Amino acid sequence: MTRSNRQKFNKTIVYILLTFLSVIIAFPFIWLIITSFKTYPDIYAYPLLYLPVHPTLEHFEKISSMDFQNYFLNSVIVGVGTMFLSVAIALFPAYAFSRYSFRGKSNLLVSVMLFQMFPQVVFLVPIMKFFGNVGLLDTRFGLILVYALFTTPISIVFMRTFFLSIPKSLEEAAKIDGCNFSQAFFKVIIPITIPGIAAVGIYAFLFSWSELMYSMSFLVSKSKQTIPTFLSLFVGQYQTRWGPLFAGSVLATIPPLIVFMVLQRYFIAGLVSGSVKE
Amino acid sequence: MKITREEKTAYKMILPYIILIMLMIVILLVSNVITSFVNEEGTFTFNNYINCFQDEIVGQAFVNTGFWVLGSVLGQVLLGFLAAILLNQIKKGQVIYRSIILILPWATLDIVAGVMWKWMYNDMYGVINDLLMKMHLINDYIPWLASENLAMISIIIANVWKGFCLTGMFFLAGLQSIPKQLYEAAEIDGASSWKRFWHVTIPQLKPVIMTTLMLTIIWTINYFPLIYTMTGGGPGYATETVVTYIYKLGFKFLESNKAAALSNILFVVIFVIASVFLSRISKEEAA
Repeated sequence: MTRSNRQKFNKTIVYILLTFLSVIIAFPFIWLIITSFKTYPDIYAYPLLYLPVHPTLEHFEKISSMDFQNYFLNSVIVGVGTMFLSVAIALFPAYAFSRYSFRGKSNLLVSVMLFQMFPQVVFLVPIMKFFGNVGLLDTRFGLILVYALFTTPISIVFMRTFFLSIPKSLEEAAKIDGCNFSQAFFKVIIPITIPGIAAVGIYAFLFSWSELMYSMSFLVSKSKQTIPTFLSLFVGQYQTRWGPLFAGSVLATIPPLIVFMVLQRYFIAGLVSGSVKE
Repeated sequence: MKITREEKTAYKMILPYIILIMLMIVILLVSNVITSFVNEEGTFTFNNYINCFQDEIVGQAFVNTGFWVLGSVLGQVLLGFLAAILLNQIKKGQVIYRSIILILPWATLDIVAGVMWKWMYNDMYGVINDLLMKMHLINDYIPWLASENLAMISIIIANVWKGFCLTGMFFLAGLQSIPKQLYEAAEIDGASSWKRFWHVTIPQLKPVIMTTLMLTIIWTINYFPLIYTMTGGGPGYATETVVTYIYKLGFKFLESNKAAALSNILFVVIFVIASVFLSRISKEEAA
């Protein structure tokens, strides 16, 4: 084989492998969608039905009658809240870690990661006690604060690497042009760091969108609960109601997918530039 | 000791966060430590820790956690690596393949992933048994999640599906940041593609691999929703990990003192693992 032929052959193999991998990875999710449109007799059909022969929206109607919209809205509120709070908290520490040299830098960076090391379950009881004392238990704001505790360490570490990839000369140029610090920071640095900020924001949003243990224990009133708690209602010890569970699951996965598709350019770019070392 | 202006600015930006989070950790940890050293009446006792060490289920939970972490991390790292290497070779269609392979499992909620796999593993109506039967790989329907020997490996497979995209993303980002000149130089020196992989790719990726390993290990130890939704720790205690057992102790058996004691033991274990990794990572960065 000539060199270019061999390269073509290699490319073909890569594409075949990728397609194979994609099919395997996507299959569980496709199966979930198909099942959510099946009637109950079809879900429990023997032999197995691979396509919804009698497509139905009954499960979607069922969850809609159970106020799914409300849980959805709560998840959006908590998710967006966590996203903004994490980015806002992480911004300045991350910047300082990337730009300045100071005593105790590496130790402080390690201590940022400390919270990440604790199993989340370890803090569940004490956090609930603490938030109960300050009156934030069973509030969406309280849950946002808890999530920010868990998301900010990773956010700081990632954002730091994004800032590292921006040459220092940019701020110096801005200063020579007469910008003060905040002008340089908000008009020069932030706009170029948008991919990194978006990546960290998505991470925080997704963390809160998916989190089960804390949301389940934290939000007691039905009107405030989020999607994972709603879905857990259908998982019984002995019986699971698959139809509505899967309809809810399909709807719950749409927002993160949209967020990713819209922002994926930023996201991967952010991760890539973030991984580049000084 | 004089504090420079630069240091002053840096501390102003960093310390509020650090102080706040340290304060939170101290409050929560102290509250947890106190809880672990008292009995229900509130008098001092070592019994919660003694109970933990005498509890056979705790021992089993640690062994299970070992298997859970080993299987999940191995699977996620290998599959993530494979996906990253494949995705790094192509230009056309990268967005589509990336969306399916690296993003779809991640965008799936934990609990959704759990119930979805639980349904696929169902012995009577599950698609996995049906497909394996059609391929003549098995002769009988297998109760994947109800069998003590298969339950753990079944959940690990689900966890690899759910988690490999994150390691894949880290590796892909790492691969894309390796300077092209290194490969060109190696090619001029006559290195085969296999040699280039071993002597250029792997060493260049080492920092990324180490950080990814550390994060995945810690995350996997702490990861709870898949087991909770798929088996709840059963059958028996076959898939009970330390984290699910702590949750059970605290919220089902209402033994919050023992749960606090076990939490502290687990924290010490994680702390040791993380310190080993962090010291190696910082050593390499310094070198």
